[in-house]
Amino acid sequence: MILLAKVGLGVLGTIVATGAYTFREGLLRVDVDEYRQGGSHVHLWLPAAAIPMAMNFVPRREFEKASRDAREYMPIARAAAHELGKLPDSVLVEVKDGDEHVVVATKDGAIKIDVSDPEEQVHVLCPLETIEDVTQEIAETRTGSVLH
Amino acid sequence: MSNLMIRSALHSRKLWSPVIAAALLLSPCAGYAQSATNADRWLHVRVVSTDSKGETVCVNVPLELAEKILPAINKKELHGGKITIDKLDTEGVDLRALLEAVRSAKDGEFVTVKGSDGEDVRVAKQGGFLLVHVTDGAGHIPHRHHAENDSADKKQDDRAAKQTVATSVSHVEVKIPLAVVDAMLSGGKDELDLVAGLRVLSAQGDTELVSVKDGEDTVRVWIDSKNTNDSEGGAR
Repeated sequence: MILLAKVGLGVLGTIVATGAYTFREGLLRVDVDEYRQGGSHVHLWLPAAAIPMAMNFVPRREFEKASRDAREYMPIARAAAHELGKLPDSVLVEVKDGDEHVVVATKDGAIKIDVSDPEEQVHVLCPLETIEDVTQEIAETRTGSVLH
Repeated sequence: MSNLMIRSALHSRKLWSPVIAAALLLSPCAGYAQSATNADRWLHVRVVSTDSKGETVCVNVPLELAEKILPAINKKELHGGKITIDKLDTEGVDLRALLEAVRSAKDGEFVTVKGSDGEDVRVAKQGGFLLVHVTDGAGHIPHRHHAENDSADKKQDDRAAKQTVATSVSHVEVKIPLAVVDAMLSGGKDELDLVAGLRVLSAQGDTELVSVKDGEDTVRVWIDSKNTNDSEGGAR
């Protein structure tokens, strides 16, 4: 009985530790709801820490293409993510136009984009640390220091 | 009963005293953290349209963020946080010389234009600021002509006419700290140092930089220490 309890405790401890490690950078969340006939409903919740890991499985060719296409924007995105991460929770942009409402804000170290209009709702939440990691990785691909 | 209450209160005070002591010790840090946050300067833009849809656009940008991002942008005339002005299409106007002239001039009104139909343009330098004031719109109040007007009808006409004028007149107020102009000119001969300008701008007090009222639209640009875009922000 005690042995079983010890095994159970070990399993539970492992699950908690794995969960804490996986979710240490928060969640990447994408929710899209289109309120029309045949409209799509996408709800994607991913642990943000898994994204840099998953990038290792992206073919190098695709990485280089992304790096070429977004070369000039990578330093800007990286600097922006780094600086935004230092901010308190703030609304950066808010647009209200009749029934349409767009908000870009920082919340708990993540960038939050909410778009609401009568036809669709889009909510994106992405930890800034993840954006920084990803942009850095893409930028470094160009110089050839990653994935070689 | 009261003794019991006092004893209980003393006991609870003993229990709470380490917590209170810790709170007192940490309070200067909390104060510092608060003031550090307050020291951050934010540039706000607010566009409000009072038409039927009631469009509102609010933008809040921390100046420090802009300072850090600008050097990362290298496109066209913008490099390393500086704009190369010899490539700018200024239609023959030497922008740098113009700014230098304004900077070195004494306080006073440089330009005054009063048009016959209510136009009023003033450009002045005052108290370390470059001030631009433009009022544009119909200067006369249109009257409807009646063969016979009773006084009540006439008053109603006047009110309607004044409302029409109020919505058609546009006001523009621009207030630029000259220290910012100085900082922008501190770069090379053919460039404006935007980052230096932002750095000086962030050292300014709460200031309303631009105010535009044009019919149904209102635009305000101001800086303050708040990260919210409330309509009362910025000193006027």
